[in-house]
Formats: sequence, C-alpha cells, structure tokens
Amino acid sequence: MTKVMVYSTSTCPWCTRVRDYLNSKNIAFEHIDVSSDREKAEEMVRKSGQQGVPVLDIDGEIIVGFDQAKIDKLLGL
Amino acid sequence: MILNLDKNKKTVSDNYDAVIIGGGPAGLTAAIYLGRARIKTLVIEEMIPGGQAATTVRLENYPGFPEGIGGAELGSLMEKQAKNFGADIIYDNVIDVDFKNEEKIIKLNKREIRSKIVIIASGAKPRKMHVPGAEEFEGKGISYCATCDGPLFRDKNIAIIGGGNSAIEEAIFLLRFVKSIIIVQDLPKLTAEKILEERLIKHKNVKLTFNNKILSINGEKEIKSISVEKTNSKKKMDIPAEGIFIYIGYIPNTDYLKGHIELDKFNYVKTNENLETNIKGVFAAGDVCKKTLRQVATAVGDGAIAAFMATKYLENEGG
Ligand SMILES: Cc1cc2nc3c(=O)[nH]c(=O)nc-3n(C[C@H](O)[C@H](O)[C@H](O)COP(=O)(O)OP(=O)(O)OC[C@H]3O[C@@H](n4cnc5c(N)ncnc54)[C@H](O)[C@@H]3O)c2cc1C
Repeated sequence: MTKVMVYSTSTCPWCTRVRDYLNSKNIAFEHIDVSSDREKAEEMVRKSGQQGVPVLDIDGEIIVGFDQAKIDKLLGL
Repeated sequence: MILNLDKNKKTVSDNYDAVIIGGGPAGLTAAIYLGRARIKTLVIEEMIPGGQAATTVRLENYPGFPEGIGGAELGSLMEKQAKNFGADIIYDNVIDVDFKNEEKIIKLNKREIRSKIVIIASGAKPRKMHVPGAEEFEGKGISYCATCDGPLFRDKNIAIIGGGNSAIEEAIFLLRFVKSIIIVQDLPKLTAEKILEERLIKHKNVKLTFNNKILSINGEKEIKSISVEKTNSKKKMDIPAEGIFIYIGYIPNTDYLKGHIELDKFNYVKTNENLETNIKGVFAAGDVCKKTLRQVATAVGDGAIAAFMATKYLENEGG
C-alpha cells in the first residue's frame, strides 16, 4: 500500500487543505505536526530541502505545497 | 479548527443564480446575505474558508471578539453561517471566466459553472520580493507566512522585512519561537498601528532598522545576511539573519480576470460605490477592489453591499 506522510503545522491553511483533500479521497495518511516535533521538523527539511509546509511524502516522492495534479498522479486518482 | 471532511464530496449543479469567487470574509458575507435572500448561491474557494484572515493567528480589531479570534476559526464560523442559509461551497480553483453574455461562465479545472450574477471576492496575496537571492531562498529560509512556517524557525535570529500591520503582528507572533528579530523597514518609521508598535518594542530581543533599501539576500546553503543600502546616507551594509519573513504589501488575485473586466493599473478591480464593475451583473467585494483600507471589517461591509446590489439586479433584470 502507498505510504503517505503529511508534514504540517497546526495553523497553516494549505496544510489543512492538503489533509482535507486526502480525507475527501479516503486516503489514509500519517500526519506529522512539525510545530511540536523538532526531530521530525529536521527530517522534513532534510527530505525536502524546504523550510516551509506542507510537505508530502508519497512512497518517498516529495511534494512541496498543495499540488493537486501531482498528488493525483502519484496516488492514481 | 473544525474540519468538514465532506467538502469535496458535495455534488453541485452547473447552474446558479449567483456565483461568488473566493471564500474569504468578503465572499462568505456575500453568501450569507444571498442565502437569506433565497438566491441559489455557490462559493468557489481554492484554499480554505477565511482567506488571508485564515493565515493570521489572531485578529484583534474585528468587532465582537474583545479577546480576539483565531483567523482560521473566524473563517470556519463564517463558512458555517453561509451554509446555514443555504449557500453551496466547493473547493476548486477558478482559472478563467467569460462575461461576454448575460449568462456568465466561470471555468474551473475540470468543469464550467453558469450563473446570472458573479461576485468577485478573490482577495489578495503577499507581494513577492524581487532582489537577488529572494527567489532562490524562498521556502529555504524565506517565508511569506509566519503562521504556516513560524515553528520551523525555532531559536533562530531572523529578520522581518516590512513595517506595516502584518509585519508587526506577525513579528509579535514569531517571538514565541525565535531567538531574536530585526525589523528591516524601508521608510523612516513603522506604519503599523501604534498599539502593535508599543507591544513589539517591549521585547528586549527585538531591534528596528529604518531607511533600508534591500539589495540582496545572501548565503550559500542557508541564509546568512541581507545587504541593504541606507536610503538617506547611501551607505551599504549587511544585516545578519538566519531566516527572513517578508511583509511588503499585497497584490490582487485577478490574473484570471485579465481582459474580461476593468482593472486599475495595479490590477485591482475597479468598481463604483455600489461595488458594480464595468460588466452588468458582475460585482466585486473586499481586498480585490481598488480601495483605501483592506481589513476584515471592510471586506465584510463590501460583501454585504455587493450581495444587496446583486439581489436588486436579479429582481430587476435577470429575474
Ligand atoms: C498576515 C496577515 C494578517 C492580517 N491581520 C489582519 C487583522 O489583524 N485585522 C484585519 O482586519 N485584517 C487583517 N488582515 C487583512 C485581512 O485578512 C484581509 O483584509 C481580508 O481577509 C480580506 O478579505 P477578502 O475576502 O476580501 O479576501 P481574502 O481574505 O484574500 O480571500 C479571498 C479568497 O479567494 C480565494 N481565491 C483567490 N483566487 C481564487 C481563484 N482563482 N479561485 C478560487 N478561489 C480563489 C483565496 O484562496 C482566498 O481564500 C491580515 C492579512 C494578513 C495576510
């Protein structure tokens, strides 16, 4: 099964949008709140080279921001 | 925040009496008024309800909330209120419009919606900085949204570029996370509300510097400094910073309207005092309009006026 991880902060609107979108498509994902977890925050920066949220990890493929076309493609939606 | 997980499951029809582009404070207020007038209304929003207001942690100057209210919370309350009165809301992106005929066409990624009237309430977004380094470091140490990315700058020495309300509000928020802040302003003083300034300068780890023209943002893998030229003495200097938040104003979300409606030279929608545009049956409200003060309180007022005028128009003409 495809493993989906969403790195986000609790107050970021585009993070909410990503999570809402995945929920609406019934995609299970691991939600990682990088505002409270410093190690995970570093992991995210390492993986994506980005200091911004949201970041998605879909089976090791990294998507920065809410990029619906790319999400759809990787998840076959 | 209250999340409506069924957001995208909603089936919407392709014909409406009113379509509102943008679900920020202006658009959602218009939806409340149109819903109460029993007009078949659709709001199209690409992000989340509340728009720019949802990108700030707390609003303190919107009446009715003496302790302040969370921006995202206010957005979802407005959304709920609009839905209570029957408005449909979908989450999608308007990419083009056709206003040539009496029936207006609104084009989304995968479908088209037809409507008798349209209220443009697509607001504004942060103005990007265009100096060497600014693009390269965007998302890699430069952010335009403190609410989103603030926690990733824990214990860093950061700079904020700008000196208006947003810059100072967000600086105060960022003080929860960062080690120190330097406010880099181009003018000789801050333009933010006095109450915000007072609150900011109480903090010992805040410095202010004025009369700076930004020349470049420097670093290799990470940001190291900002090069500036003093606008008064023409001296050049470097301001050290490990992260930068930029609040240098806004630009309207009107790309999809170009060639379809009259815009001013900064691309804001031109309206008369009744918020009518140059196209019959198309109204505009909130930050997207040419106006003097862009706040939630004024966006909400615009939303009510635009909806009222749209209702009258439907009664008289479109019927
Ligand atoms: C950091 C920050 C702090 C602020 N603090 C305050 C404050 O303390 N008090 C205050 O009163 N005001 C504050 N403001 C200003 C306030 O948020 C705005 O004036 C207000 O949100 C404007 O409302 P609006 O509905 O006109 O536009 P917006 O809030 O910009 O909403 C427009 C909506 O349209 C959507 N949209 C845009 N283009 C499209 C498209 N093509 N298709 C579909 N949807 C689209 C956007 O996603 C957005 O949700 C702040 C703004 C910022 C950025």
